[in-house]
Amino acid sequence: MSTAATVRRPRVRMILTAVLAVALIAAPLALPAFANQTLIRIGVYAVAVLGLNIVMGYTGQVNLGQIFFVGLGAYVTAYGVNHGWNILLVFFAACAVAGLVGLLVALAAARLGGLAIAMVTIALPIVGVPLAKRLSDFTGGSQGTSARFTDAPDWSGLDNDQWQFYIVLVVSAAAFLLARSLVRGKYGRAFAAVRENEAVAASMGISPYRTKVLAFTIASIFGGASGFLYLAAVQYTSPETLSFGHSISLLAAMVIGGAGSIAGSLLGGAYYVFVPQLTNAIDPNLTTVSQGAILLAVLFLLPGGLVSLPRVVRRLTRRSATRRSTARPAAETSQQTPPAQHPVPDAAPEGPEQTERQDGP
Amino acid sequence: MRKKPGGVLGIVAVTAAVALSLSGCRGDGGGQGGGSASSPGITDSAITLGITTPLSGATAGPGKCTVAGVSAYFGAVNAAGGVKFGDGKTRTVNIKSYDDAYDPQKSLANFQQMVSDNVFAATAGLGTPTNRAFRDAAISQKVPQVLVMTGDPLFSDRKQSPWQLGFVPVYQNEGAAFGKLLAKSGAQHKVAILSQNDDYGKGYVAGFKDSIKGASNISVVGEQTYEATDTSVDAQLTQLASSGADVFFNAMSITPLTIASLQKAQQIGWKPIWFLPSNTSSPTAILEPGGAAAYPGIYSVSFAKAPQSPAFAKDPDVVKFLDELKQYGNYPDMPAFPHCMWSYMVGATLEKAFQNMKEPTRDSFMTALRDIKGLKAPLMLEGTSVDTTVDGQPAVSSVVVQKYNGKGYATAENFG
Repeated sequence: MSTAATVRRPRVRMILTAVLAVALIAAPLALPAFANQTLIRIGVYAVAVLGLNIVMGYTGQVNLGQIFFVGLGAYVTAYGVNHGWNILLVFFAACAVAGLVGLLVALAAARLGGLAIAMVTIALPIVGVPLAKRLSDFTGGSQGTSARFTDAPDWSGLDNDQWQFYIVLVVSAAAFLLARSLVRGKYGRAFAAVRENEAVAASMGISPYRTKVLAFTIASIFGGASGFLYLAAVQYTSPETLSFGHSISLLAAMVIGGAGSIAGSLLGGAYYVFVPQLTNAIDPNLTTVSQGAILLAVLFLLPGGLVSLPRVVRRLTRRSATRRSTARPAAETSQQTPPAQHPVPDAAPEGPEQTERQDGP
Repeated sequence: MRKKPGGVLGIVAVTAAVALSLSGCRGDGGGQGGGSASSPGITDSAITLGITTPLSGATAGPGKCTVAGVSAYFGAVNAAGGVKFGDGKTRTVNIKSYDDAYDPQKSLANFQQMVSDNVFAATAGLGTPTNRAFRDAAISQKVPQVLVMTGDPLFSDRKQSPWQLGFVPVYQNEGAAFGKLLAKSGAQHKVAILSQNDDYGKGYVAGFKDSIKGASNISVVGEQTYEATDTSVDAQLTQLASSGADVFFNAMSITPLTIASLQKAQQIGWKPIWFLPSNTSSPTAILEPGGAAAYPGIYSVSFAKAPQSPAFAKDPDVVKFLDELKQYGNYPDMPAFPHCMWSYMVGATLEKAFQNMKEPTRDSFMTALRDIKGLKAPLMLEGTSVDTTVDGQPAVSSVVVQKYNGKGYATAENFG
């Protein structure tokens, strides 16, 4: 029996999930501080990429302003922490403020179709940076503002990095589970319909406008949550945080991780964090060049993003396996074919007349 | 065949058990190192310093200089055998550089990487937000973050920043130096001020205004600001030109904007005497493309000898510096940014601190570093020196006003 099929059995899935959960909970205790800190930052950006994925990957609306919501969430968090708010209130405020601003922007932007949304969202980080510098009472101006609230409490007996890891783990796990349910349910189907064809979606009773606003708002809320995590991890934010270039990097991370994929968002977050570290290790003077090379290599070899890697590997191994033993029975070969690779089933007969579709190959 | 569920459960159990038992093994990964045992990053034969600085992106030019200068200095010192430390051992100095692309989040990541790479101290990094991003972490891990390239006074406040020290003069120092010279001239001058609307511009203007307080011969006739993200200041320049000012105090940190304003003022026929901050007054990168020769005078402040200037072409310091920059700093061109010279001086200041530190610890290093007075580092101009003993002031707080002479700068004793 193939491994792919084994993984699909519900019981095995449950056990694998349990293993993963145990591993994640135990990991910070065993790993060195730097590994934890790296994982923390991956969590931060995975949530931001996840939000971007909901609006871009699932709903097909170009959003170039996600970093603005991350920065907004970070600023709200810093403000709340420095004014002694309860930390849960801070978290909800970070999400709510980002969501509210996202909603306002989306109400206007979603009326425009296609690339116009991209143009509106470009404006966000471009306006955001000078705004953050101007509103220095709130943001600390261009020197930025720091807020420490994630030092491990004494009773926990943990190091700061371990404590931060758990904070980030709780929030990002919740974000990923919520996103997963969202895209698998009614709204996920609405998102997909709007992405594929707005006219068709409208004919099915799905308002493309409302769906776009919803997706954009949810993406902003995720951005705000990511901003909260950013401050939990970095403990400092400045106008540089929301500069436009980072928004493009987030976008690249989403595409590289895998657009329209929950696991891809996590991979995207990992890419966003790992690649600068990797290129620093190669040669700190050539980071931009090597990052560009990695980006191109991934896009050439894995156009579906890193998340498609297992599929590609399976296809390659299968190809070489068939080459090795062409005498293998056809039944066994077809059993090994993962479902995604099945040929599209023939169209159902539509009527007594021969139609074009039935004539097709 | 598929494994029995029991087998998988076994894996869960084993994984959990391994993970939990490993958790007990976690040593002191942070590496605080206290007492008289030596701190991380220093052995009997070597010490490792880390620099996180922008090596890509818009600020990569000055960023590369910060690495090149320190590497050049210690490259030569290492080639001559190393530094004789205060504890009697001779050590070579290794430099590790990290690119943060002027992104605070990345500079923090780089700092965490440094800690895991066993770096003794972070130094010479450029940028206010990037240095602020890991300031708290450096304090809590007791890692020195010293002689950094930012004019932010926070880094020189001992109470708030016990493990930090800024290197370059704070913005106020520079503005004040020019104001003093102007007030001293005795002649009537009308000054127009253009400044960046942030702590940078405000610092310059505050320093300048403080120093002309009570000088009856100086009047400020026009004041404008711009945002660091602006792509043009033409409107502000036109307005300031109409004020009839004969001196233009331009606290601007953006290279292309400075070039554009030098050109624009000429086009509209306004030819005042200029003051430019030290980081945007490079003769080759800014004044030449801006056509600065058209103005009656361009003033700036400096504490470093400018290698471009003919006055220093044969200066032994400059010759040695350019040589080492080429050989050890991986920087073959004439330095276009003063950060090359500054970080070379950082090297000299660090060497002095190393020579005075009695124990191979970070504590001892900080004590030695905070006790340097009157050090005349190579490339320093007459009238300036390194003084780390004053609370609230960076390592270099003395600057001299200089005047552009068509090729480089020469110290200006008098205004006009």
